[in-house]
Amino acid sequence: MDPLLYFWLFLKASLFSTGGSGNLPFLHTDLIALGWAQEQDFLTALAVGQISPGPTGLWSISLGYLTYGWGGAAFALLALSLPTLLVLLVASAYNRMEKLPAVQDFSRGLSLGVVGLTISVAFILANSAIIDWKSVVICLAALGLAYTNRLPMIVILIFAGVLGLLVYGG
Amino acid sequence: MIDLFKAWFLIGIQSFGGGSSTLFLIHQACIQRGWLDEEAFTRAWGLVQISPGINLVKMTVLIGFYLRGWQGVIASMTGLLLPSATVTVLMTAGFTALRDQPAIQSILKGVLPAAVGLSLAMSLQMAVSLLGRAWQEGKPRFSLHTIILIGSALLLSLLKMSPLLVLALAGMTAMLLHLALPVQQKQPERG
Repeated sequence: MDPLLYFWLFLKASLFSTGGSGNLPFLHTDLIALGWAQEQDFLTALAVGQISPGPTGLWSISLGYLTYGWGGAAFALLALSLPTLLVLLVASAYNRMEKLPAVQDFSRGLSLGVVGLTISVAFILANSAIIDWKSVVICLAALGLAYTNRLPMIVILIFAGVLGLLVYGG
Repeated sequence: MIDLFKAWFLIGIQSFGGGSSTLFLIHQACIQRGWLDEEAFTRAWGLVQISPGINLVKMTVLIGFYLRGWQGVIASMTGLLLPSATVTVLMTAGFTALRDQPAIQSILKGVLPAAVGLSLAMSLQMAVSLLGRAWQEGKPRFSLHTIILIGSALLLSLLKMSPLLVLALAGMTAMLLHLALPVQQKQPERG
C-alpha cells in the first residue's frame, strides 16, 4: 500500500462529503477497487462506529485500523479532522451567499445525491451481510426499529448480536 | 483552555451509541455553560450541514473558535476526538483478536445485517425529509427530486460512476431544472 495515496483517499472522502457516512461511497469505491479493503471490513467498521463513543463518523478510524493497523487509524483520524476546519471559511462566506437561490438549489441536489449514494452502498454491503432469510428478517427489523426511533442504535445492535448467537450459535 | 478540553473530553467519552446522543450532550453543554444560546446553536448547526466532514466535529470547531479562537479549536477537537478515537481503535483491535471465535462469528451474523438495516433507516429518514419538502413544492419538483435520488443510486451501483461526479451531476441537475420547474402554489382545498 502506498501511504500517501491511502491518506489522500481518506482525505478526499472526507473533503467531498458531509455528515457521518457521506464518506462511505468514496472509501468503498476506492478501497475495494484497489483491493485494500473487503466488504467485511466496511460492515465491521460501521458496526464499531455505531457502538463506540463519539460521533458515528469515527467509523472510518475503525476502517483505517482494519486495513492498515495503527497507522491507518491515525491517517483516518487526521483525514477526518482537517477538512472540518473549512467550516470556519464557510461560516464567513455564508453571510454573503445565504440568499442566492442557485446555491440553495445546488445544495439540495447535492443532499439528494448523498442519500442516493448511501442507499446504493447499503445494498452493495447487503450482498455479503445477508446470507439467508433469517438475516433478511434481522435487517428489516433493525430498519423498522431505527426508522421509528423506538430504540437507540446501540440497543438494536446488541439485540441483533444476541439474536445471532442464539440463531447461528451451536 | 484546560476547562474547555475537559468539557469536550467528557462529551466525547460519554456519548455512546452514535451521533444523536453526542449532539444532545453538546447542546446541553452549550446551554448550561453559556457557550451559545439556542439561536446561535441552531445557526451553527445549519452552517455545519453545508461544509465538508463530520457534522459533530464541525460543530466542535465552530464552538471552539467562537470561544477561544484557534486555541479553542485545538482544545475542543482533541478533547472530543482523542479519547473516542482511541476507544474506537481498541474496540476494533479487540474484535480483530476475537474474530475467529465461533461465538463471535455467530454474533456477527446477527450484527452485520442489522448494521445494513440501520444504514438504510438513516438514508430513508433523510430521503423522507428531503422529498417531503419537494412534495410541498408541487408534483413536478417531487418527481425531479425522486429521479435525482434514484438516479444517483443507480449511477453508482450499475455504472460504477465516481461518487464525486454523481454528486456534481445531482447538484447541477437540481440547480438547472429548478429554473424550469418553479415552485407551484398549493391548490386551494375544495370541500
